[in-house]
Amino acid sequence: MQTLSVVVTTPPSSYLTITAIDFIKGAIEAGIDVVGIFFYQDGVLNASANLSIPNDEFQTANEWQKLHTIHNMSLHVCISACEMRGLTDEIDVDGNSPSGNNDQQSNINQYFTVSGLGELVELTSKSQRMVQF
Amino acid sequence: MPISFKNNASKNIAIINSSSTINNASKESLDAALIYGSYEQNIALFFQGEGVRQLIKNQKTEIVKVKNFLKTMAALEFYDIENIYVCKKSLIERGLIEDFHIENIQLLDVSEFSNKLHLHHVILRF
Repeated sequence: MQTLSVVVTTPPSSYLTITAIDFIKGAIEAGIDVVGIFFYQDGVLNASANLSIPNDEFQTANEWQKLHTIHNMSLHVCISACEMRGLTDEIDVDGNSPSGNNDQQSNINQYFTVSGLGELVELTSKSQRMVQF
Repeated sequence: MPISFKNNASKNIAIINSSSTINNASKESLDAALIYGSYEQNIALFFQGEGVRQLIKNQKTEIVKVKNFLKTMAALEFYDIENIYVCKKSLIERGLIEDFHIENIQLLDVSEFSNKLHLHHVILRF
């Protein structure tokens, strides 16, 4: 079986992100084993738990969620890239949340797995092909 | 023609750097390179276009409030990342002289640069 991993480096509003989603869906339909998706650079913004995009726009967040829940796809986000962009899984509940919203301890979407660059290396070696968007 | 390879076979990984020093992509590409190095992967760095600026000596990024990550490039040698290729044409186009802050740099003309790149199975670009 052919194996593929995908690196996403573009934010939710980018057309490249939509192309990445189409590409991944196409690969699944073609019977390719997509071993994992790694979000790096501005790609980590896809993992924000606070995304709200107008209804008439393409809902990238829903698509990532579906890939995870329906196809059991691993969505890895690089935590150091997250932290540089204000996303963290360690918001201080004692009142130091950057947004002032202390109801949540993480602003990273639950469908994403908090990972490091080591996961990028793993995916590189686990898949026959790696494609970056 | 694409190079095919089996699972777990050792792959040659190339990282293309074409972003200038003052760009998050440059720091994030260095972070990725060092991790591949620490996992003892076959990794090579390719600098072209604006990316060649990252290698020039004596840059004071603090002036524009950018943390100086260029110092970290000294660690490349420590992780045995010795294949560092630079597009000579990109230097000439920018009027830059070959005065670099790291060692082991190989200057290549456009066709040599392309030939080297074709020896790699995985290409990431920043």
